[in-house]
Amino acid sequence: MKKLLYVLLVLLTSCDDMFSTHPYDVNIKGEKGINSTQSAEIERRFVEKDTLRVAFISDTHLWHSDAKDEVADINNREDIDFVIHCGDLTDTGTTKEFEWSRDILTGLRYPFVALVGNHDFLGVGDQTYCVMYGSMDFSFIANRVKFVCLNTNATEYDYMAAVPNFDYMEEEIIKDSANFDRTIVVMHAPPYSDQFNNNVCKAFRSYLDFFPGLMCCVYGHNHNDKVDDIYEDGLIFYGIDCALHRNYRIMTITPDGYEMEQIYY
Amino acid sequence: MKWNKFIISIVLTLNMAATVWAQDSTSVKREKKSQDCEEYCNYVERYQHRWALLVPNQFVVQNAGNMGVLSVGIGWGYGHEHWETHLLFGYIPKHQSTRGKLTMTVKENYIPWNVRLSAPQNTSDGFLKHGWTLNPLTASIYVNTVFGHEFWKLQPSRYPDKYYELMSTKYRLNVAFGQRITWDIPCKYRKCAKSVSLFYEVSSCDFYIRAMYLDSSISLKDIIGLSIGIKLQIM
Repeated sequence: MKKLLYVLLVLLTSCDDMFSTHPYDVNIKGEKGINSTQSAEIERRFVEKDTLRVAFISDTHLWHSDAKDEVADINNREDIDFVIHCGDLTDTGTTKEFEWSRDILTGLRYPFVALVGNHDFLGVGDQTYCVMYGSMDFSFIANRVKFVCLNTNATEYDYMAAVPNFDYMEEEIIKDSANFDRTIVVMHAPPYSDQFNNNVCKAFRSYLDFFPGLMCCVYGHNHNDKVDDIYEDGLIFYGIDCALHRNYRIMTITPDGYEMEQIYY
Repeated sequence: MKWNKFIISIVLTLNMAATVWAQDSTSVKREKKSQDCEEYCNYVERYQHRWALLVPNQFVVQNAGNMGVLSVGIGWGYGHEHWETHLLFGYIPKHQSTRGKLTMTVKENYIPWNVRLSAPQNTSDGFLKHGWTLNPLTASIYVNTVFGHEFWKLQPSRYPDKYYELMSTKYRLNVAFGQRITWDIPCKYRKCAKSVSLFYEVSSCDFYIRAMYLDSSISLKDIIGLSIGIKLQIM
């Protein structure tokens, strides 16, 4: 009897995939720590390149058919260097959804990183994100341009956490300063949105000025493609549309500047 | 949250069951000694009979099913063995999260058919050949709640109105379909149950069904999960 129970237990644990423990079980199978391996790959590949072509996608939620088409469209292009997903990889933050969206994104033939969106926090989705992708604030340098990716989903913490994290921004302003001349700040929720800690919008803007050669900001969340001078001071915020609206942006960074192109698929 | 609430609810359930049980076995006999108060005795008997209906008559263990890695609970069978209510407590291991979690489930089963596979248990010889029943279909609907401060019943007040509309991260509505095979234990081998059932279920929850509804590339096989379990029919 004991042997039978033992065999049964081994059998049950070995075919783990057939059973679903709980939507929020944080039992992640497959690739983890994606952002650190992928951004290391980006830093390795792009050190001194004339132009850099970055595709920005966002808010794929549960629109998987559209997200797959988006990935296929990017894969069909020869000249993309890497892809940044601006957050909302899931709709309800379940482990299954994180695995589904990861499996779509790993279909990309270019390196990619993904930010955390407010939907990715639901339940214990934030913990799943941290295991699957890594730290919520992260940065990397490609071709002497620093990409600073910030968690701006303050409402998810009821404004009780350091979001946006000014200490982290301060660190990033000086860290590896010899290796970059320009900066692009990427976030999920833009200032003055329902997720941003709007008490610190102006303080956030002041901190941005300390980043060497700040070029522009890129965000998702709003499900529209608005290009906005939010603070009316010349700093452009590019909105990245959701997958349902079937468009994304490609940024071409040259030594003299950049160009933003909107792609419909 | 409310660990205390959780523990209190378990204690109350067990206590209630124990009290009813104790009354049933002792007080009837005591009252029967008296011949002068028949009406009262009948009342007590009816009263006890009614309360005795609350005594759970099933014990259930099952794995997975979006309730945790393993769930254990009690059940009530009624309606000519066509209906069952289960109260289950499950455990979600820590995995890669910060801690393990407990869940509680209220589950309603409907068993439309009982198919007798062999003759009832009668003699002592060949008892393994007798007393088998098959339920070709079981249909279940259940609500699972997960304990922990991360999960909310309805969106907290910090969000704008209708932000995560009609969504709860705490309560999951599940549906399941399965099959079951039951073996009646012969009288002389009975220790704590009169029959034992093995069952399996294929289930999914509201989040996943919604996902499949929202996007055609998510298929049924992506959203279903298997669950297997044992049910002991105590009385």
